[in-house]
Amino acid sequence: MKQSFRLFRRLACAACLSGFLLLPGGLAAQSGSPEAESAARTIAIREVPVWGQRPMKSIGVDQTRFDSTVLRQNIALSVADVLTFNSSLFVKQYGRATLSTVSFRGTGPSHTQVTWNGMRINNPMLGMTDFSMIPAYFIDDASLLHGSSSVNETGGGLGGLVKLSTRPAAADGFGLQYVQGVGMFRTFDEFLRLTWGDEHWQLSTRAVCQSSANDFKYRNRDKKENLYDEEMNIIGSYYPVERNRSGSFRDLHLLQEVYYNTGRGDRFGVNLWYVNSNRELPMLTTDYAEERQFENRQREHTLRSVVSWDHLRSDWKLGARAGYIHTWMAYDYRRDPGNGIMTSMTRSRSRVDTFYGQFDGEYAIGRRWLFTGSLAAYQHLVTSVDKNIILQEGDRAVVGYDQGRVELSASASVKWRPVERLGLSAVLRGEVYGDEWAPIPALFADYLLSRRGNLVLRASVSRNYRFPTLNDLYFLPGGNPDLRSEHGLAYETGLSFAVGREGRYTLSGSASWYDQRIDDWILWLPTTKGFFSPVNVKKVHAYGVELQAALDVALAREWKLGMNGTFSWAPSINVGEKMSPADQSVGKQLPYEPLWSSTVSGRLTWRTWELLYQWCYYSQRYTMSSNDVTITGYLPPYFMNNLSVTKRFALPWCDLSLKAAVNNLFDEEYLSVLARPMPGINAEFFLSITPKWGAGKRSR
Amino acid sequence: MDVLKRRSIPWRSLVAKLCGVWLCVAASGGCMKWDYGTMEEFTLADSGLFITNEGNFQYGNATLSFYDPATRQVENSIFYRSNGFKLGDVAQSMTIRNDVGWVVVNNSHVIFAIDLATAREVGRITGLTSPRYIHFLSDEKAYVTQIWDNRIFIVNPRRYEITGYIECPGMSMESGSTEQMVQYGKYLFVNCWSYQNRILKIDTETDSVVDELQVGIQPTSLVLDRNNLLWTITDGGYEGSPYGYEAPSLYCIDPETMHVVRQFTFSLGDAPSEIQLNGAGDTLYWINRDIWRMPVEARSLPTQPFIAYQDTKYYGLTVDPSNGDVYVADAIDYQQQGIVYRYAADGELIDRFYVGIIPGAFCWKQ
Repeated sequence: MKQSFRLFRRLACAACLSGFLLLPGGLAAQSGSPEAESAARTIAIREVPVWGQRPMKSIGVDQTRFDSTVLRQNIALSVADVLTFNSSLFVKQYGRATLSTVSFRGTGPSHTQVTWNGMRINNPMLGMTDFSMIPAYFIDDASLLHGSSSVNETGGGLGGLVKLSTRPAAADGFGLQYVQGVGMFRTFDEFLRLTWGDEHWQLSTRAVCQSSANDFKYRNRDKKENLYDEEMNIIGSYYPVERNRSGSFRDLHLLQEVYYNTGRGDRFGVNLWYVNSNRELPMLTTDYAEERQFENRQREHTLRSVVSWDHLRSDWKLGARAGYIHTWMAYDYRRDPGNGIMTSMTRSRSRVDTFYGQFDGEYAIGRRWLFTGSLAAYQHLVTSVDKNIILQEGDRAVVGYDQGRVELSASASVKWRPVERLGLSAVLRGEVYGDEWAPIPALFADYLLSRRGNLVLRASVSRNYRFPTLNDLYFLPGGNPDLRSEHGLAYETGLSFAVGREGRYTLSGSASWYDQRIDDWILWLPTTKGFFSPVNVKKVHAYGVELQAALDVALAREWKLGMNGTFSWAPSINVGEKMSPADQSVGKQLPYEPLWSSTVSGRLTWRTWELLYQWCYYSQRYTMSSNDVTITGYLPPYFMNNLSVTKRFALPWCDLSLKAAVNNLFDEEYLSVLARPMPGINAEFFLSITPKWGAGKRSR
Repeated sequence: MDVLKRRSIPWRSLVAKLCGVWLCVAASGGCMKWDYGTMEEFTLADSGLFITNEGNFQYGNATLSFYDPATRQVENSIFYRSNGFKLGDVAQSMTIRNDVGWVVVNNSHVIFAIDLATAREVGRITGLTSPRYIHFLSDEKAYVTQIWDNRIFIVNPRRYEITGYIECPGMSMESGSTEQMVQYGKYLFVNCWSYQNRILKIDTETDSVVDELQVGIQPTSLVLDRNNLLWTITDGGYEGSPYGYEAPSLYCIDPETMHVVRQFTFSLGDAPSEIQLNGAGDTLYWINRDIWRMPVEARSLPTQPFIAYQDTKYYGLTVDPSNGDVYVADAIDYQQQGIVYRYAADGELIDRFYVGIIPGAFCWKQ
């Protein structure tokens, strides 16, 4: 039975492989005909950017942008999934629909800053962001600002910045889109978007509802089941096929947007994003508890809101934003002691209120000078209750903290292009956190080496700081109010190019080399009192190379191929002092930081069909600071392959789209984190309906 | 136009080749599998030291090591190597009963019974809340202490079954914490640690708590000396704790009267732990940044440490009952193999050897 299954899988792999290997050749052959070349010119191929139009704000900046085709692959995807397959970032996933963190260039998850419509949304308690909680369908524009480039927008991004935003829907009249997804493991995804717009107003309501039992099967090789005789002697054992236990989730996201454009240079916007998440935390592969005896659940209610005003003139611009974030999080670990009543073992609650305000201004003098200024303020109020205890006197009490902190970030920059080929930029940012402050300077330059191919050389240097989070400082037990800020000096240089012919192909790419040293890296370590406490312990030297390339080509009549690829080599080395005479971690790669990673995605379209193939690779990741290659000392490298096929139908009354997506196509057994099971091959089907009425129908 | 054609053709060829290479690599990825399942045959020495390495909480990377003092050889990850599967998440302690070792794996909710010669599993007890230590009363009865549970579990080790519970007063499920166990006659004594300050006295015939003694905040460990006096050491809690924060103390307790015989107070901010006895039961050892020792008859705390702090993160401590050698575990940065230092009774360094991540507890095979 097992052999026949393997044979089937090999045949399936071979069939897929041969089919895809033949495909590009066949397409290339077809594209040779004059008819095809003629037709190719009618297919939309993105334009090659012209050097003179390069924005002043982008001088020397290393930025990766994601277009809507990447963000709109299917409604089941989170931004974590998008980044996994389309960027050089390392996405650490604790399971399907479980905590997913993102790190740039060998740094940690808390070194990645995240903004949504200009407002920083990193959790002020933890410093990091769970990207599995951000539906890709809620983001219209996403970009990555690597390393020093993040200083243009915010401080604290020692690794970089993930910039997420929404934009007006450009609706003319009433519009509706509904997408239903049904997948394995009793997974249901629904998306609804209602839009209405005219010359001045744009209204949009989006809702995403995702639920799944998430009980995928996997062979658990971390444990064995025993067979006993009547004397309780073990007479056999085997690796059990288990289901992912305690992994169900139900998430609801609502996004309301209102935009008003006066048509005279003023734009107003209101964005409200509500999250209601209820997720079980999957049991470890090494857990022998009965699923029904324990409950391990995390719930979250979050409201993020931003009100914005932009005032645009030909040579200057003003902007103001105000925002508020409310987050309530609950973690419950309960068990049935035998009476059928789930009784709390850990009952943790936290509440975060963040008030936000920001002013931005820009002033351009001709085409050679641009001045920008920004002032942002955040007020965080945190109440964290981690444990209920009985005091010595018999009264009840809670263990937690109640703290607030004001954070200010002010920046001024001057950007100068003395000659057409050369751009220079200087940014000075000041960050104030509570009683602490830090200057964050950055310098950028770029130079057009060749007009042919738009070959641009860029370089930057910056000094950056990341202040300890509120948990770092105040968490009970373990918070360390004496922590110092993490700080680093970063250098970077790179080349980028873009070539192409309109309607035929575009090819663009970039290569970056970076070198960064981070001091006073904060690490939570156990104490002899049984709890963890953060300390400034490590110095890290992170350096490496990032490559990106994108190709769009019209292969033949109505055939188009788009390919994107990234590659990253990211040593992240502990260069601090030995923590103990026997310390073997100095000079070694940091745990859970892959040295190599790569992604490739290919999108082939023909008439109303679309085939999308995605591939990503992470090299071996050490789980121990000493880089031991023992059974628990590393996670093997893995390739991940996803495939989807879409067929669109244009009916008189609506546009229909059918999509089939297969994840983990080759049923890879893999782990992103030790003891966290990941699903094998799985599939989901999507139906999208966009009715035509009003202006939409008339226009057809 | 001809120029355009010439330029376009290499791109298509290149695209085709790139696709081919990419898909070959992608498809080959499907063949990658984990290397699992090899089971080694061990014959461990007749006497030696088991070391339970906790591993990192939630990462399932606990391991078991065995050190032979005679040959100075160490074998690491013996549970995995012998059984072909992992020990689990947070190996808390190990106890030997007859020829079977009982390894308590806290966050895996399991206690493995292993053959002492081969480290091969012979059985397991499941259904536990968050087990910490196991203490045997007979071949068919043992107690298992828990954290996050206000009950001590009664188990039948022969059948690997839970047979009952002992309700512990003054604690809820959430604040429950029972730790190390010491038996004196028919009574069992348990220190209650996390947000607790008591030593419980349990009648092993009725399986009920019959008395309790309030000591300082968070007694971490418990031993019984040659004079049949109990010793416990508190850590004093932490600054900001609603339960309290005080100078830790070392307590000597009369188990019959449940009264404190002597109390030695440390400085506020100290974090003593791991009270241990030598084989004769006449000398106490503990960790308080340095390694300290003191005769059980002493009337004051020593002023000089037995082994001085050397940028080490001392985490575990034991004394060889046969010759008084002292073994100290250094967890280093808690993310790599810890190291165990072996000292002679006079403080001379005899040996050192790397074990697993966070070596926390020891168990002597004699």
